[in-house]
Parts: sequence; C-alpha cells; structure tokens
Amino acid sequence: MFGRSYSFKWFGIELLAFLLALVFLSPFYFVIVNSFKSFAELLTDTAGLPGVLHAENYVNAWKALNYPQAFKNTLIITIFSNLGLIIISSMAAYRLVRNKSRMNRILFSMFMLAMVIPFQSIMIPMVKMFGWVNLMNTFTGVVIAYMGMGVSFTLFLYSSFIIAIPKEIEESAVVDGCTPYGTFFRIIVPLLKPMTVTVLVLNSLWIWNDFLLPMLVLQKPGLQTIQTATSSLFGQYMTQWDLALAVLVMGMIPVMILFFMAQRHVIQGIADGAVKG
Amino acid sequence: MKRSFIISCVLVLMCYLLAACGANSNSGANTGADAAGNGESNAQKEVTIKLFQQKVEIAEQLKVVKAEYEKTHPGVKIEIESVLSSQYGTKLKAKLAANEMPDIFNNGGYSDMDVWADHLEDLTDQPWVSDAVDSAKAPMMKDGKLYGFPLSLEGSGLVYNKEMFAKAGITELPKTLSELEEASTKLKAQGFTPFVNDYASVWDLGITIFDSFMAKVPDTDKFIADLNSGAATFAGNDVFKGLPKYLDIAMKYGNANPLTTDYNTSMTMFATGQGAMIPAGNWIQPLIDKINPNIQAGLMPMPVSDDADFNKNAVFTSPTIWVVNKNSPVKEQAKEFLNWLVTSDIGKQNVAKEFKLVPAFKSIKADPADVGSIGDDLTKFSEEGNSLPMQASKMPEGLYTEIAQSMQKYVAGKSTPDQMLAEFQASWNKLKK
Amino acid sequence: MDNNRASINMHPVLERSSKLERGSTVKRWISSQWMQQAFFIGPAILFYSIVIAIPFFFGIYYSMTSWDGVSGNAVWVGLNNFSTIFLKDPEFGQSFWFTTRFTLTAVILNNVIGFALAYLLSLPLKSRSAIRTIFFLPNVLGGLVLGFIWQFILVQGFPGIGKLTNLSFFNLPWLGTEATAYWALIIVSVWQGAGYLMVIYIAGLANVPKDLIEASVIDGAGKWQILKNIIIPLIMPTVTVCLFISISWTFKMFDLNYSLTSGGPYGSTESVAMNIYNEAFGNNRYGLGTAKALIFFVAVTFITLIQVKLTKSREVEM
Repeated sequence: MFGRSYSFKWFGIELLAFLLALVFLSPFYFVIVNSFKSFAELLTDTAGLPGVLHAENYVNAWKALNYPQAFKNTLIITIFSNLGLIIISSMAAYRLVRNKSRMNRILFSMFMLAMVIPFQSIMIPMVKMFGWVNLMNTFTGVVIAYMGMGVSFTLFLYSSFIIAIPKEIEESAVVDGCTPYGTFFRIIVPLLKPMTVTVLVLNSLWIWNDFLLPMLVLQKPGLQTIQTATSSLFGQYMTQWDLALAVLVMGMIPVMILFFMAQRHVIQGIADGAVKG
Repeated sequence: MKRSFIISCVLVLMCYLLAACGANSNSGANTGADAAGNGESNAQKEVTIKLFQQKVEIAEQLKVVKAEYEKTHPGVKIEIESVLSSQYGTKLKAKLAANEMPDIFNNGGYSDMDVWADHLEDLTDQPWVSDAVDSAKAPMMKDGKLYGFPLSLEGSGLVYNKEMFAKAGITELPKTLSELEEASTKLKAQGFTPFVNDYASVWDLGITIFDSFMAKVPDTDKFIADLNSGAATFAGNDVFKGLPKYLDIAMKYGNANPLTTDYNTSMTMFATGQGAMIPAGNWIQPLIDKINPNIQAGLMPMPVSDDADFNKNAVFTSPTIWVVNKNSPVKEQAKEFLNWLVTSDIGKQNVAKEFKLVPAFKSIKADPADVGSIGDDLTKFSEEGNSLPMQASKMPEGLYTEIAQSMQKYVAGKSTPDQMLAEFQASWNKLKK
Repeated sequence: MDNNRASINMHPVLERSSKLERGSTVKRWISSQWMQQAFFIGPAILFYSIVIAIPFFFGIYYSMTSWDGVSGNAVWVGLNNFSTIFLKDPEFGQSFWFTTRFTLTAVILNNVIGFALAYLLSLPLKSRSAIRTIFFLPNVLGGLVLGFIWQFILVQGFPGIGKLTNLSFFNLPWLGTEATAYWALIIVSVWQGAGYLMVIYIAGLANVPKDLIEASVIDGAGKWQILKNIIIPLIMPTVTVCLFISISWTFKMFDLNYSLTSGGPYGSTESVAMNIYNEAFGNNRYGLGTAKALIFFVAVTFITLIQVKLTKSREVEM
C-alpha cells in the first residue's frame, strides 16, 4: 500500500499482528485446555496445560447433552430456516430494490425497523399466537419464527448486493422475452451466489447459537437444541467446571467447522454486503 | 469460484437429505399421534401426566420414580421436564401463553400462589393432607383450603464446617452476634477463613440472609401488612438493626472479593475448606458432596441480635411445593400420582432415599445417611419446634433482587446502614401491589 | 392503494418494458404487477407479520394494561404505565444511562479497534488471511456461551494468570466492582465485535483507489495525513454501516449481560433489555415491561436514525 520498505519493518508489523491474534485466541485456549483437566487441577492451575488428558469429560458431556439428538434437531432447524430465509428475502429484496414505488419504500423501512425491536417485547404475544395455531413444540414453529425474525437482516444484505448488479443485464433478458419471474430465477439468482453463501453462514451462526427462542418454543424433552441443552446442563454443572467446559466446547465445534469451511466467503460476503449498501 | 460451487453443491445436497429426514420424522410423529388419538383409545386409555419442575438436583432421581410408576400403572405415562429455577418462571409463562400448561408444576406459595390462583386445584381432600407437616402446608393455604403438595422441607441459616469448628475449639454454636464474632476470631486464629460470602449472588443476599431476619420479626404478617400500609418501616424495626451488624462481621472475617464470588465459586470454596461458614441451606448438600464427599457440614440458625433466646429459632423452612393444574384433563391421574408418591411404600422409599431432600411428611423418615448432615440438623430443629416459616414469597415479587442490590451497595461501602434500610423501604413501596 | 398503482405505472423501467409488450392490455399488465408484488414480497411480509408485526401490536396493547403475564384478564390502565416509568422508576432511568454509556464506549472502541485491525491487515502481510480468521473467530460463539466462557476466564483464569505474573491487572476483583464489571462487559463486547467490524472495514479499505494514495505519497503527504484526509473520508459509507450495526447490537445487549454480570454488582450494569426482562418476568409486571420496551424501541429508532443521517451527510462520492 505504501510502497516497499526494508523487510525488518515488515517483520515487526507481522509480529505485532501475530501477537494481537494470540491475545484474541487466549480465551479459547483457556476453555479448551481446562476442559481436559480434572476438577482439582482446573482449580489449582487454571493457566497451565493439563498434566493428564481427561477425555472422560467429553464422554460425560456427550452423554449428558444427548449430543446426536440435539445436533440433529439444531441442524434441521438451521437448514430449514436458512432455506426459507434465503428464498423469501432474496425475492423481496429484488422487488424492493428494482421497484421503488412509495409503498415499497415504506415496506423497506418497515423491514429495517424490525432490526431495532427488542425481542423481549414480542416474545410472549408471539408464543401466544403459536399456541393458537398449534405451532408450539414443532420445528415448523421455530423455523417460522426464525424466518420472521431474520427476514429483515437477510433482506438488508441482499438488497445492498442487488443494487450493485447492473440493470442492463435484466433489461436484455426482458428483451429476450423473459418474464419478470424468469429474469429473477434465471438471471439474478445465480448472480446472488456470493451473497447467499454469506447469508447462509451469518444466519447459521445466529440460529445455531440462539437460545431464547428454542427455549420458549421447544419445550418438550427430545426437542432440545444444542444451545438449550448446553444452557440447562451448564446450569446444573455450574459447580463442575470440568464438565461444563467440555459441554461448552462440544456446542462450539460444529459452528467452528462450518466457519472454517466457508470462512473465505463469509469474510468476503460481509464485506460485499456492507460496503455496497 | 470453483470451491464456492462445490461448497454450495454439498450444502444443497445436505439440504435435500435432511429435508427427507425431516419429512420422515414428521410423518412418524403424526402417525404416532393419530394412533394414540384413534386406535388405542378403545383398547386402553393412555394418559400422559406432564410434570414441569425446577429442582434440577432431583432430575435424575425423578426418572427412577417415573419408571417405577409407569411399571405399576399401565396406561399412564409421566413426562418430566426439569429446568433451572432462573428459567422456570419465563418458561412456565410461555407454556401458559401457548396453552401448553403442565399438569403438575412448582409454586412458591403465598404471593406466587395468588398469581397462579386461577390454575390451582384444591387439594384439601387428598389422603396425604393430614400427614404433611403444618409449616410446609402454610404457604399454600388460602381460606382454609390447601392448594399445594409439599414435596420437601428446606431450611437455611448458616451452614458450617464441623471439622473446622472442632479444631478451633468451638463447642457451643454461636447464638448471638457477639458470639458469632468470637467464634470467627477463634477460627481465624487457627488460620481458617471464617466466612464464605458469595455476595455476587442476589439469591443468597436477598433470600437466604434477608429472610433470616424477616422471619424473626415478631408477628411477621402484621409487619408486612404495616409495611404495605406505611405504618411500619425497616428503619424503625429492631430486628433489622442487626442486619448491617451481621454483614459487618461477615465482611470483616470473610473471603476477599465477596462481590465477585458467585454461588458456584462459593460452593467450591466452602467444600474445599476455604471457609468455615456460609449463608445457605440443606439444598447445597449434593453440590458440596460432589466436590468433596468427605465434608462434614452442619446447619445453625443465623444470629440476628444479641439476645440468645431470640436467635434459637432462626432456621426457617421453605418447602418445595408442587401444584396440580385445575384445568388439566388428567388432573385426577396427577393427584393419584402425588398420592402414590407419599402413601405407597415404593413411593415413600423413593422420596426418602433417592431425592436426598428432607421429606415434608411425618410418616416418611429420612435416613441421615441419605439426606446428609445438613438435612439431618434441619430435621432436628424442625422436630424440636425450633423452626420458623419462610417469608420470601409473602413479599412483593421481584423484591429480593432489589434488596440484594441494596445490600451489595452496603458491603461495597457505597451506603450507610441507614441508607440501606431506606433503600429497602423505597423498593418495597415501589413493588408492593 | 390507487396512489401506489399510479406510482408503479410511472416507473421508467416498467414503462419501457410495457411498450415492448404491445399485445397485452393495460389491465392485464397491472394485474401482473400486483402478482409480482404479491409473489416477490408476499411471503416476506407474511412471515414478518406473523412473527414481528402482529406481536408488536399486541405488545402495544399490553403496554396499556396492568397484565401480570399469568391471569386471564388484562386490566386496561391507559397511559398509567408510562407515567409510572417516567415518574416512579429511577432504576429504568439508571439502566438507560448505563446502556448509553456502555454503548458509547463499546461502539467507539469496537470501531476504532476494528478499523485499526483492518488497516493493519490491509498491509501485505504474509499471514494476513489466517490472522483475519482468528480475529473473526469469536463471532462463532453465541451471546450466552460467550458470557459463560468469560465468566470462567474472569473468575478462574485471571486470578490464575495473576498468580503467575503478579500483574495487578489480573488481580483486580473482576465483576465485583462497578468499574470492573463495566469494563469486563466492554472487553468481551470488543473481543467479539471488533473482528466483525474489521471485516467490513477491510472491504471498505479495499475499495479505496490505490492511485489516489500513490499520488498523495508523491505529493509528499505523511501517512497520518493520508489516513485523515483521504482514507477516512472515502470509507464513510462503511463507517455508516459499522456504526449502525454496532449501535443496534450494543444497545439491545441482553444475552451477554444476562450470563456475564446479570446486572451486578448492585444493579450497576443492568442494561435496558435486562431491566425490561426482569420487570416482565421477574416482577410479574408484563404490562409495565412492554411499556418500557416500547419506549426503548422509540429511543433506539431515534438514535439510529440520527446516526445514519449524521454519517451519511459526511459521505463523499468516489
């Protein structure tokens, strides 16, 4: 950026960045290292490496969390919510961006407004409505709730992306005899792919980690998500940090894997969405 | 681009696979429900009792009871859901809003009973009523009727480490604030930290400590009524003058950083011998046993003044109460289950052996080996008649949090005793109905 | 509705395309516009209404009742709840004041650090993509877990380091005093938020034309001058977005607050969202709680609007 300089200086900057990164990583170090210690060792020597690896913490956590079940539940919810969100938000964003009637401007600000509504103020009426239409304790209910809660942010990301797509592409499609629907699905949707990956990962991070909504809606044993299972176990094992930390790490791992798989796109995508907005 | 394409493909594929799985499990659930609704209803009536409770300590043990009951009562299923007490209230309200009320659930008694009054079944005619301990029934009595089932008794005060007390040569438990200070000096001389103060926990300040004082006010009900009408104040009450004094002693002889010490840390500290006394109750037994199975803990009344006679009663009992949902279609079966739990031999044995709680029924005798040394002490106080009923749930809802915050402010040195009591008063006036 | 129809017809692109389709009648064209509107936006509006809009209006109704969240009937009290909040509830004011202070500090630190990291990682470092990933990594944790983890670090880990290093920073009574609890929340929020904002800033920086910077280097401008006079004005749109995101996050903070400090000590770190939650579910005053939520909603909307207006006015066209 600023031309060349001697390598010693670059090494210094690199080292600085590296040290900063270590500081950012240190909380993970604490959690992971201590999740392998016995309880007594964890209390007396919190900062050091474990003397003996206590993998049984993980065996116990696996059982207590009912991990396969919770994992499956969370995965189903995350995937269907994501699919729904991607479909409804990209369609709405396209129309709202390309058709700026007064009504659509109002609709757009209405969607944006939802981003500042505190969830606590709508949760009880929402649960009440879900009760009327038998959506409590169903994955459908949770998915619907995530679609409603996530549509604003997703639409925001998509619309900032669509603005940057040159209109000429669509116009030529129309000339070729494409219907508006055909234009969207055949021309626009493929172009949205980078943003879709971003949306997918960001919404997955959010839905995977969300706690309050599944706690309220999924109240039957067997419907627990990783987060609700983690939080209730964490509460029970609060005094047993060794187990509690293993529980936390196990809740964290799937999202980390997803993140590492897609990290290039996430970082690219957030950036694209935000800047072109 | 190539990689993103592959990732997208994989994700789409996963979606399809899972969509298939999801659809399968859904249809499975549906057919199950249909079968229960139609086919089997003639053959045998399958009912499910939903039990929603906030004592996570007995979650595992309840599963044993459930299996036992389902075995002897074909056609009855029990569905247990145990949640942390911090989430319990919100979840119960969500269940209510969604029309998914459980058949049996917890209730705190007194003002909590009033809140949920529309949903509570009258249990006065149940066979176990005469067997239940009176002080455990009190919170759920209204107009001569009983609305709750007391599962267990709980008592609180100061839990102390018997070994440490013995080593420090304390033979007589301190009965006054001065004796408490004296005992603390002796403990300190032995190199022990006398007090574990977990003042990060609003529960222990606002309920365990505050209630020890509230319960000692002569004619508490009148005092509460007077607080509501404005005829009485905290500052004008003799018992509450002891509260800042107690806090002073506990702080002077307590652990460092009490305001960063939360409930969990304090349990660890007490169990590992980093403190000799802790304001708590018999509910901590399973926790400290897990950390240190050899611990010898006892319970004593929390001294609130310098009058020894006045302090002998300080242990108060607060039962764990289950209530039956009045509007439940299976309320008869729910009542039968509760009845079985405390009148049948198997049920009784489970309550006494498995729960590790002090039973609230005269005919169920708990073995000290099961309920632990703290519970054993509690039983003795209760049998000698030296127990007072809890007051926390007679107070305005949410009061304990604000009370605890005022106490935190005092121990942090940010307010004087008078200011603290004035803040109690302001909170009471704000939250009273 | 008629207004809207007119405005749709006047849209230039549509006019052009309507000329192309000569065979169809005007009426059919309009109906197809409605079809498009319904098809593209309909589903989004449907879900939005069920989950956000209708419950929100319910909330407005409850805010004018004294409902406790349990009993069957909610008693209408008009605007009483609002007068109670403004006249008799100093804690709500305090939590508002805390949240404002917190938001201010957290937003500034998040953005400054986020920008600094982005600036650092825009330099051609060898390991930069790995380091970017590390800075973003805290975002894979949910607010609740985040709080639990940091509670462990502050209560167990810091004293552990303190013993080893004797640094007084680690021996502070973390979470035990007003100041340490406040800064603990800030540290955690920056730990998580800075990496997210960094990513957005990196993209912003990438869009700054390189020739502009090279030209000013030739003109003899110092690094600081380039940053101040060229880079920052050019990335103002990014700043707008980052501020919007970080303000609405920190203002609505609940999970982290709930799991890390629970508002302690003595209520000094109680955020507005937590105050609302406690009022509605702890004190069983749901009506009052929703009234607070409504006031809060208006305040947050107002603040973000002002922020967007302010920063937008400083944006420069490239």
